[in-house]
Amino acid sequence: MSNLDLAQSGHMHAGASTKRRATDDIWTVSKELPIFIGVVAAIALAIYLLSGQFFYLNLLTMALLFGGLAVSWNIIGGFGGQFSIAHSVFFAIGAYTAGNLYKHFDISPWISILPAMVLSAAVAAVVSWPVFRLRGPFFAIATMALTEVAIAFAMHWKTVTGGASGLTIPYRAGLENMIFTQRWAYAALFLGYLAATLVVSIVILRSRLGYYLQAVRDNDKAAEASGIPIMRTKLKGMAISAALTGVGGVFFMMYVRIVEPAGLLSLFDVGVKIALIALIGGIGTIYGPLLGALILVPLDYWLRAFIGSAIPGGNLIVLGIILILGSLYMKKGVFGALKQGYAAWRPKR
Amino acid sequence: MSAIHLGVEGVTRRFGGLTAVNDVSFALGEGDVLSLIGPNGAGKTTLFNILTGQLAPSAGKVVFDGTDITGHRPNQRAWLGLGRTFQISQTLTSLTVLENAMIGTFLRHPRIADAADWAYAALERVGLASRAREEASHLTLGERRRLEVARALGLEPRLLLLDEVMAGLNQTEVTRIVDLVLALNADGQTIIVIEHNLKVVRIFSKRVLVLDRGKMIADGGADSVLQDPVVVEAYVGKKKQ
Amino acid sequence: MGFHTDIAMDQFFNVVALGLLLGGTYALVSVGLNLIFGVIRIVNFSQGEFLMLGMYGAYLGYTTMGLDPYAGAFIVVPALTVLGMIIYWLVMRPLQNEPMMQVFASFGLLLLIQNIVLAITGGVGMSMNTPFSQITLTIAGIQFSATRLIILLASMVAAGALGLYLAKTTFGQAIRAVAQDRKAAQLMGINVERTFMWSFGIGTGLAGLAGVLLTPIYTLSPQIGGNFVMAAFAVVVLGGLGSVLGAFVGGFIVGLTEAFAGYYIDPELKHAVIFIVFIAVLLIRPSGLFGQAGAEEVGLREQS
Repeated sequence: MSNLDLAQSGHMHAGASTKRRATDDIWTVSKELPIFIGVVAAIALAIYLLSGQFFYLNLLTMALLFGGLAVSWNIIGGFGGQFSIAHSVFFAIGAYTAGNLYKHFDISPWISILPAMVLSAAVAAVVSWPVFRLRGPFFAIATMALTEVAIAFAMHWKTVTGGASGLTIPYRAGLENMIFTQRWAYAALFLGYLAATLVVSIVILRSRLGYYLQAVRDNDKAAEASGIPIMRTKLKGMAISAALTGVGGVFFMMYVRIVEPAGLLSLFDVGVKIALIALIGGIGTIYGPLLGALILVPLDYWLRAFIGSAIPGGNLIVLGIILILGSLYMKKGVFGALKQGYAAWRPKR
Repeated sequence: MSAIHLGVEGVTRRFGGLTAVNDVSFALGEGDVLSLIGPNGAGKTTLFNILTGQLAPSAGKVVFDGTDITGHRPNQRAWLGLGRTFQISQTLTSLTVLENAMIGTFLRHPRIADAADWAYAALERVGLASRAREEASHLTLGERRRLEVARALGLEPRLLLLDEVMAGLNQTEVTRIVDLVLALNADGQTIIVIEHNLKVVRIFSKRVLVLDRGKMIADGGADSVLQDPVVVEAYVGKKKQ
Repeated sequence: MGFHTDIAMDQFFNVVALGLLLGGTYALVSVGLNLIFGVIRIVNFSQGEFLMLGMYGAYLGYTTMGLDPYAGAFIVVPALTVLGMIIYWLVMRPLQNEPMMQVFASFGLLLLIQNIVLAITGGVGMSMNTPFSQITLTIAGIQFSATRLIILLASMVAAGALGLYLAKTTFGQAIRAVAQDRKAAQLMGINVERTFMWSFGIGTGLAGLAGVLLTPIYTLSPQIGGNFVMAAFAVVVLGGLGSVLGAFVGGFIVGLTEAFAGYYIDPELKHAVIFIVFIAVLLIRPSGLFGQAGAEEVGLREQS
């Protein structure tokens, strides 16, 4: 690589040249910025082009939501290697917080974002602290159990959640209520959410926390011996991931305006789906989860519409096959496969 | 007389009916290089694991620079200045060489640019600076060992523990690492090495400690210990180099 | 005063009876799951689906050949054992060292199996009445239905048989050897892959057996596996990884807890209570009642 040759020839003694060279060799936030802006701009363009087509716009909006949720999940699930299926709980916390504050206290959802984040992060920290010492699948099972507990409590706690019949909020259009008359505004809103999660994801990955999460994921024995506080690192990652997921719940609440426990907390429709999206797109990369959402959300819809109607459960059969084949052959996801293909195609040094 | 740096007092570790480490005591001063030797299964790595916190002792205590660290977790000990490498190389395979070293330097330098700079310096000390951008998984075994040393050096350790850092390497790689250890000690680094290769032990240790079946059977200068009949007998039937 | 106490005592024993019967079911399902977990160190989220297949298999035998489910078991259980072995070989074996992918793959299997059955049956709930379903026995003044008693007995027999098999037969001991240390077992000449395959098959077969025995009691639906798999995981954790006795005892603890929580607290919350107990166990004694300490922390990653 010409970069390295330059660095090597200029390197002989330490000094200002060393500093420049060191950061040359790793990605930093500033290097990531152009890509980020490009991605957001491309999606914004897509929203503009689709603004009249409600069907596709809705699909894109949901894809952006799940993209944001998957990017948030990825912070602890991909970077941290902690395979949580409980993120639907934080999603629900966000939705119920915003919904209740809006319905009963007329508080703008924009303001509710803060308590939603705090509550999600707090719950995440409390429940994952005992569960983090478990490895891999045990951790996943524990998070499944947590989701079941949450569903039971949500059904039971009717004053907050409305029980099985759900929580409905009144339609009062206006920016301060996060309720829009134009559909493209929602798409833009969710693009904003996605962009926010991407920014956080980028900043974390290129920070000490990001490296520590990856070290803990790859080899926690070596990580701890290198001075990394394992529990604290995992908790930080989890809290941030949960907070962002909660924000997604806030936006979702204002988009659909009616939620009920089975839909919000559903293991398959939310909890596993988020992780699946990240897997298919590429766990542990920044844009992988977004790619996964752009693939999976329309695919899921298409499967439901065309196969699910003809054969009951047919869409899930296909999804099951994708899951099995994906875990066998595409562990790094589409993004990972693309990266590998790109690296193979590029001329070697 | 340098102040006592590391004090090991009556450390014992039992696993069910097996006593892996049996009442081991010794003291180490700053700048010393100590070789810990003994036949396979003597308890050397177990002792290391107790020193660095991966295992808790069944009895006894470990004192480092005046602090009782017996109950400390490994990351707390790293903070106090204890660095180590592992017998089976624990490279972080999803990261590059430089990033692996940064995992060590992040402890003292939280900012990413600083951590990278200091990581570079650590890589230079072990001779891997030119490979900084490569995936750590592409390194040979000898290079991975050196990378692990670089990561430990990143902690700016006051005491460095190297667990069989030369195992499985060819002669060239062994020489490289021997030179590295000598250079580190020349810079004032206190080191404890677990080593099987007795030739190497002679080269860089002034002091040798011998474990056999968990008990310390000798502790002294390299020459006298290696000729001690008790020590020789412990090794009879095992590889002698 | 005495009158109320009598009723309360009656109810108490009824709850206990229900708990024991539930426990027997959970024990049966979990013993198989525990075997797979403990030996191969693989999470099989699709375990519940094999239970469901057992039910539908029994139903099929009943409707096509007039076979009483208890007789049909002799066909269904071996069939599901073989199916399990095939699935292990094709899907799980390649994912030995990738716990996260195992989770995904077994979820995929769950979706696949459940929805294939859904597609074939069109989602219609079916139930079976067999000669046994009507019989009730009265022991110590409490009524037990024969079908539930049979499950209780079957779980004891199955657990006992499995325990003996593992302890006394050559292959059983090979399974235990592999569970303890697969590399050492390999060095001793044991074919580890074949052992895994059989263990997985036995595990799924046991789930199928549970399903068969449940047909006279529950209405068939493709989703029924899900009800049991979560509780089964709770049982395995509670009882301790790798311990047949643990899975057996754990099943009863969970069954009794569910019965008591359902009656004395709130039927809606009974599952929540199970999981709170589950998490409490993880906090207090993560290795479970009878498991090897540290197993859950070692997890399923192969240590060098």
